[in-house]
Amino acid sequence: MIGDAFVFDGVAHPFNFTEKNVYDRAGEMFRQHLYAFHQVLTPDTEPKLSAEQYLKDWTPADIQDMVFEHSDTDMLVAMPLPLTDLFRDGLSPWEDCAELASRDPERIIFWGSVNPLEGRRALDLMERQVGEFGAKAFKFYNVRYDYGAPFPWRMDDPRVAFPVFEKAQELGVNLIGVHKGLPLGPQPIEATQTWDMDGAAAAFPDINFVIFHVGLPFLDETCWQLIRHPNLYASIAATINFIVRSPRTFAETLGKLLFWCGEDKIIYGSEAPIFQPQWALRAFQDFSIPQDLVDGYGYPQLTDQAKRKILGDNLLRLHGMDVDATRERLGRPPTRGIPAN
Amino acid sequence: MATSQADVPGWALDALTGVYDPCCREKGISVVDMGLLRSITVTGTHARVELMLTSGWCPFATHLLGEIEDAMVAHPAVDSCTVDVVWDEAWTTDRLSASAVRKLRFLPDPASVPDREAYVAAHRPQSEEVHR
Repeated sequence: MIGDAFVFDGVAHPFNFTEKNVYDRAGEMFRQHLYAFHQVLTPDTEPKLSAEQYLKDWTPADIQDMVFEHSDTDMLVAMPLPLTDLFRDGLSPWEDCAELASRDPERIIFWGSVNPLEGRRALDLMERQVGEFGAKAFKFYNVRYDYGAPFPWRMDDPRVAFPVFEKAQELGVNLIGVHKGLPLGPQPIEATQTWDMDGAAAAFPDINFVIFHVGLPFLDETCWQLIRHPNLYASIAATINFIVRSPRTFAETLGKLLFWCGEDKIIYGSEAPIFQPQWALRAFQDFSIPQDLVDGYGYPQLTDQAKRKILGDNLLRLHGMDVDATRERLGRPPTRGIPAN
Repeated sequence: MATSQADVPGWALDALTGVYDPCCREKGISVVDMGLLRSITVTGTHARVELMLTSGWCPFATHLLGEIEDAMVAHPAVDSCTVDVVWDEAWTTDRLSASAVRKLRFLPDPASVPDREAYVAAHRPQSEEVHR
């Protein structure tokens, strides 16, 4: 916990950044790009990893150590990243994420991931990830790289997307994340935009969808969809890491989200190991929207209650977990008695 | 657009109107119209461009820096160019040109929205109203 806030980190990836895992120039650029962001966005007052320390095979144990031993994080989502044309194992294979979750199932939640373009095979793998490995949600990536070229697909495609949503429901899973914005390598930009979320949210009102990275830089689009669909949420993973280096950038994003979408729809994520989680958590705990943005643009202030919801309570709720019961289960103090603001 | 002529020489604006924001290439929005240029200074024959990124996470940023550099050194008065990403100032939608606003922006500043729910109700697509 940080302060009185329960911290449920919505995304960490056990990355295999080793050179031998890289297929080609696009993969090399991608891993170097992430390392550059580690260097640029980690505050100068914090330790920055050398290339040798960073561009390695991050094991599940490494992630567990970074997140739980070196930050105030209480729970974590282990999340795959399947860039299978850039990296031999996709960079963060689902098997490693399942292993990470198995190391501490009380605190680490496994999200599965499949390629919906694979049809029956994808559905079978969903069954396996839920049945054998306890996946509680799924994360999808709208551009797949499995055949030597980017293959975009849409979240509102009845033939490609809807079968995996239906399978998720059949398996008792009603939480689905999708990577949006922030192209993962040389992707067609239009596939990273959020226009397909309207159709997905409307067709599956009982599934809660989390739009990762707030769909940046397409923030207005994302806000407009979150306003209108109660089952759409936004993850500020990666966005939060601008909080020290470029706090007004972060304030602009958060201010818009708070006004248009509200504090119940925003979810924290660390993106460990790209960034060590603690410095951003600490900065968020101390953060307030600059007063000139509140006065001039009309952004709401970031309250203590909003911080608690964003850092953990919202994601607990999306996983069907009671906040106080989870706090008690993990030996954390209850929220009772904490003022609403 | 916040970028002013004082910050960016006119010939440089002309040179960079053909360099597109990577996420808005299909909309024909240049780095100039996106307001990504904070300043351009020329010392002798060396140009220095200060560039603001909309999200800061863009994996195309490196490519964009190269495109800007190429466009600048194509000018006869410039032999070399460095492009530096600005981190101490946030890009905001205030920096969009009028044409870019028309193509990209549709949510007003909260300060100009007295009643959010009323705004949403008034602007909700008609197709959704049928199902409500």
